[in-house]
Amino acid sequence: MSSPANHADSHAESRAAFKAGVIECLQLIPSYIPFGLVCGVAAVQAGLGEWGAVALAAFAFAGSSQAVLTQFLSSGAPLSIAIISGLVVNLRMAVYSAAIAPRIAGATPKQRVLWALFLVDQTFISNEVRHQRGEHMKHPLAFYLGCALTLWPWWVLMNAIGAFAGAKLPASWQLDFTIPLSFVAMVVPLLKSQSQILAAIAGGAAGVLLYAMPLKLGLIAACALGTCVGMLVDALLKLKTSETRQ
Amino acid sequence: MNWGGFGTLDGWLAIVGLAIGTFAIRYSFIGLLAGKKLPPRFERALQLAVPAIFAALVVPLILFQNNQLNLAMRWPHAVAAIITGIYAGWRGGMLVSLLIGMACLHTLLWFFP
Repeated sequence: MSSPANHADSHAESRAAFKAGVIECLQLIPSYIPFGLVCGVAAVQAGLGEWGAVALAAFAFAGSSQAVLTQFLSSGAPLSIAIISGLVVNLRMAVYSAAIAPRIAGATPKQRVLWALFLVDQTFISNEVRHQRGEHMKHPLAFYLGCALTLWPWWVLMNAIGAFAGAKLPASWQLDFTIPLSFVAMVVPLLKSQSQILAAIAGGAAGVLLYAMPLKLGLIAACALGTCVGMLVDALLKLKTSETRQ
Repeated sequence: MNWGGFGTLDGWLAIVGLAIGTFAIRYSFIGLLAGKKLPPRFERALQLAVPAIFAALVVPLILFQNNQLNLAMRWPHAVAAIITGIYAGWRGGMLVSLLIGMACLHTLLWFFP
């Protein structure tokens, strides 16, 4: 089907997409430093050993669940409780999984495994931002892997430095604040409709009010609430336009 | 030279448990919805779920200190986040947005320690 020239073109395009992913996520690197170091230190304190800390970062690749898991292990909680608590914190990734699924309808089973392996807040939202910009969606996996293969090794490295050197950044730098800032910078350009904006406002307010729920379950509840508010606004807007039309 | 230790068996069971469970969560809908067309309503709900969950994640990170809402301590963070959001919505660009946000935060903390 495809001529050699076509093939070369597509190869160059996919390399460009990979590079775009690398560049996009290199900018997120500072936000991984403080939390990565802290997670590495905490894992050693929880008795995982330095190599356990590195393995945890490499195989889980999910900071807040790593922190919760090691916190529970340190406090002497049963193994099953520690694991379940960590997993509940990661339930938000099911939302990402559902949201990314229609974007990768053409992916092969092997490619789906790759998409799932590296699905974290930053890779998910970078992919979403790119999709909304409508930029050459021909090579979504190349872009995604550019993102993932920048962030994942960096995350493991930061955890390793925390584990082996016990290194921490001065708290007064507040470099950990770059995590929420990076989410703000990525999500604001995605807010295009009134219903999306109101979903975000409701989600944010509910996130504050439900913060005290155990295991960060408030996050899932707030997501559901914000989504409902958005759909309600959608329905109201539809009603209004159909009324004015009559 | 610290060659590193391997910790306890329980520790490794915890690592394996979290890793497998997290992969299952990540793969869940990606695997289930493979090649299926979603009802438009469900797809619309997901478009709304994305801003909702990120707002729910971000607002406490901005306004909370030691697990409590603390506007007296965190208002500079709120201002920095709003300015970052305005810049990102106007221009975009992650690195510049982050630099503006952090510069704003430290300027405010400098003047109002």
